[in-house]
Amino acid sequence: MGTRVFRILSGRRLAAGCVAAALLMSGCVTVDDKRCAVEAINKEFRKDYEAILARDGTRVFSVSRAEAYDAVRISMARLRMTVEAQDPVLGYVNVFAQAPLPLDDKEWKQAAEADLPRAQEIIGPCVGLFGYFFRFEPEGLESVISGTVVETPAGTSISFTARMREVAPPRTGFPRREYLPPTAVRMALSKMWAEIEREFKTTYRKP
Amino acid sequence: MTEQAYPDALQPQYRMHWYTIERVLGQGGFGITYLARDTNLDQLVAIKEYLPVEVASRRPDATVRSRSDGQRERYRWGLDRFIQEARTLARFDHPNIVRVHSVFEHNGTAYMVMRFEEGDNLAALLERRGTLSERDLLRILLPILDGLELMHNAGFIHRDIKPDNIHIRADGSPVLLDFGSARHSLGKAHTLTILVAPGYAPFEQYHSSSENQGPWSDIYGLGATCYRAIAGTAPMDAISRSKGILGSTREVLVPARNVGSGRYSAQLLAAIDHALEFVEKNRPQTVAEWRREILGETSAAGVAPAVPDRSAVAASQQAAPSTSPPAAGPSAPPAVPPQRAIAAHGAPPKADSPVTRRGWPGARAPIAWSIAGAAAAAIAITVFLWPPIDRDPEEKIRQIQKELERTKELLKERDTDAKTREKLLALLAEQEEAKRRQEDEARKRREEQEKQAQAKLRQEDEARKRREEQEKLAEAKRRQEEEARKRLEEKQRLAEARLRKEEEARKRLEEQQRLAEAARREEAERLARTEPPASRAPKRSPEADKLAQGEAALARREYEKAYEILRPLAYGGNSRAQNKLAEMYAGGMGVPKNNNQAYIWYSLAAQGGSATAPAEREKIARLLQPVEIQQADTVVKNWRPR
Repeated sequence: MGTRVFRILSGRRLAAGCVAAALLMSGCVTVDDKRCAVEAINKEFRKDYEAILARDGTRVFSVSRAEAYDAVRISMARLRMTVEAQDPVLGYVNVFAQAPLPLDDKEWKQAAEADLPRAQEIIGPCVGLFGYFFRFEPEGLESVISGTVVETPAGTSISFTARMREVAPPRTGFPRREYLPPTAVRMALSKMWAEIEREFKTTYRKP
Repeated sequence: MTEQAYPDALQPQYRMHWYTIERVLGQGGFGITYLARDTNLDQLVAIKEYLPVEVASRRPDATVRSRSDGQRERYRWGLDRFIQEARTLARFDHPNIVRVHSVFEHNGTAYMVMRFEEGDNLAALLERRGTLSERDLLRILLPILDGLELMHNAGFIHRDIKPDNIHIRADGSPVLLDFGSARHSLGKAHTLTILVAPGYAPFEQYHSSSENQGPWSDIYGLGATCYRAIAGTAPMDAISRSKGILGSTREVLVPARNVGSGRYSAQLLAAIDHALEFVEKNRPQTVAEWRREILGETSAAGVAPAVPDRSAVAASQQAAPSTSPPAAGPSAPPAVPPQRAIAAHGAPPKADSPVTRRGWPGARAPIAWSIAGAAAAAIAITVFLWPPIDRDPEEKIRQIQKELERTKELLKERDTDAKTREKLLALLAEQEEAKRRQEDEARKRREEQEKQAQAKLRQEDEARKRREEQEKLAEAKRRQEEEARKRLEEKQRLAEARLRKEEEARKRLEEQQRLAEAARREEAERLARTEPPASRAPKRSPEADKLAQGEAALARREYEKAYEILRPLAYGGNSRAQNKLAEMYAGGMGVPKNNNQAYIWYSLAAQGGSATAPAEREKIARLLQPVEIQQADTVVKNWRPR
């Protein structure tokens, strides 16, 4: 029996076991682990973000450029976003607000709950168990949205991009993410387009 | 909250020496643990108060007293043990054992001051995740073994290892809590209700005496914790297992090697099964031994096999009486408690020769022998029915016959020893009753925890309201400051307007002087018209003049003026003005810093032929998302100069 056990535990299994045990015993979550986690989450969320914008980040309307520009500004104001920079001649407007705006708390919670399991799965290989302490936090962050209005042969094109901006250091040990959770991006875009379309219908009576 | 959920607890803000109670962290049968603040060091600590509710209660003046004169001696004895064990624990400074800072007597009881560890306990983690991977399990198990080995070498047993008592710090490192200081405290008179954790306590802990307990008891608890982590459920409790062995039920523990096959390494599963051996002497006797099995360092000699050979088990049980001291009977009390027994044998053993079974002397109870006999019979029969292995058939038959004879003797002995059987059945009945009581208490604790959680939610709600109120006040203050700033700006604006008027008056005067001078020069030129001009100054266009003015204003940091001059030129397609405007956006000069706008203006300047713009645009592009660059490029592509 002893010989059998010795045979089982010898060779590659024994070596792999020792190496795994040594690695596991080598300590807990380091700064590098955390950086690895945030890079992994940024990489994955960026893919989702770009796919969402490619699908629904730009829409074309049969309105004049000036009408479209005004509609963007008014809609953003209705969503409680503040204009930070604008250039009507270029057709550029930049708005910001304390996160989770333009989503409300309930919508943010819904988006965070939807994306949390995937986020934990993404960072798991970097931080192990520590990943289960990861949470999305709107505190200390601002949502920044850039909108452009461009005349094209098909009509006036409106497009949006978004990013997170840190205004206070994070409570957790994780560095900040740059990209929003995908569900939050989808919900925010949907909300902004709905507001713009409402503005066209009510003010200009246009589709 | 404290009054509702923990009627016996000290109130928040209650002060003892330099510690101020903040809230209750939890309550068990032997005491209450508080979160408190050390006001000297301004840091949070955990304080455990000795309050065995079975024998003592709190009075209105916050002191703790035994419930009756008859219980005074038991209470005092437990208190002394609590203090003694806190002192023992305080000697250890290990990252995976809760750190004890201090112990002191107050209010007629004692308080153990410990480091407050933030994080979550393993039970909660397992509740959420169901099971752990081998990597995560070892990440918790191995550090805990290091800490436990240190304690065992000092002659100390935990006796209550279970997921609830393993805390995972926020950085992922584990720490072993609740070193059962109170667990010894009620000595022989304690009840089972508050002694054992079903599924995690080995059978020997169900006895009222503790002579059979040792490092192997803690190894059982850790093995059961590992079993929970791989199977998703705790192993069946030792009482049910004993019934299975006696044959009163068909319940047997499904081995870890069956439950975790394919998902965990064979050596880990074998080590868990070894730790969960029912008979204590069949388990690894020391942490070092078990660790070697887990890590696959088991050598062929000197270490128990990971999967015990059935005939070997039977033989070892047959031989057991000759290796155990037979002198101590079932009712004989231990000469000294285990810790003292170690001390009496001299200094604690070295790390490489940890406490062995010989270091924990004690009598073997007949009950245990009966169970062992029954187990031997079952195993011997199994061996008899087991498929043949490569052994000499004659020798195997002789071996089986010998085992059968031994088994018959044991069975005969068990059947004839009716008194022992009755005792065992009585013990089982008592233990079932205790288990029921324990479940009742667990239910009550859960209800209390729910109440506590509700109270916590209420508190958080109130705190949120307070925060909102504070934010409103801050907002009002900010508005006031904003108004004051606007008033100041208005004053400055008026002052500037006055200065501008003066400047205009001065300019008008200079213009008049210039016109007079020009008239004089014209007259002089008319007179000297016959002579050719020595040189002709180059003429500059109005746009070039404006550009020069804009650049000069920018150089003087008159950003507002520069912006007013340069912007129309940039809109008109002047690449130099566009370049300057891009610089202003990139540096936040007189305009809000905006990389998107800077990128657009650098791109337009590059299109217009600016030599420096492309390189600057690339620098800015590194700060933008790829989709932001696409968005800006679309603006540039569709741009027409105004």
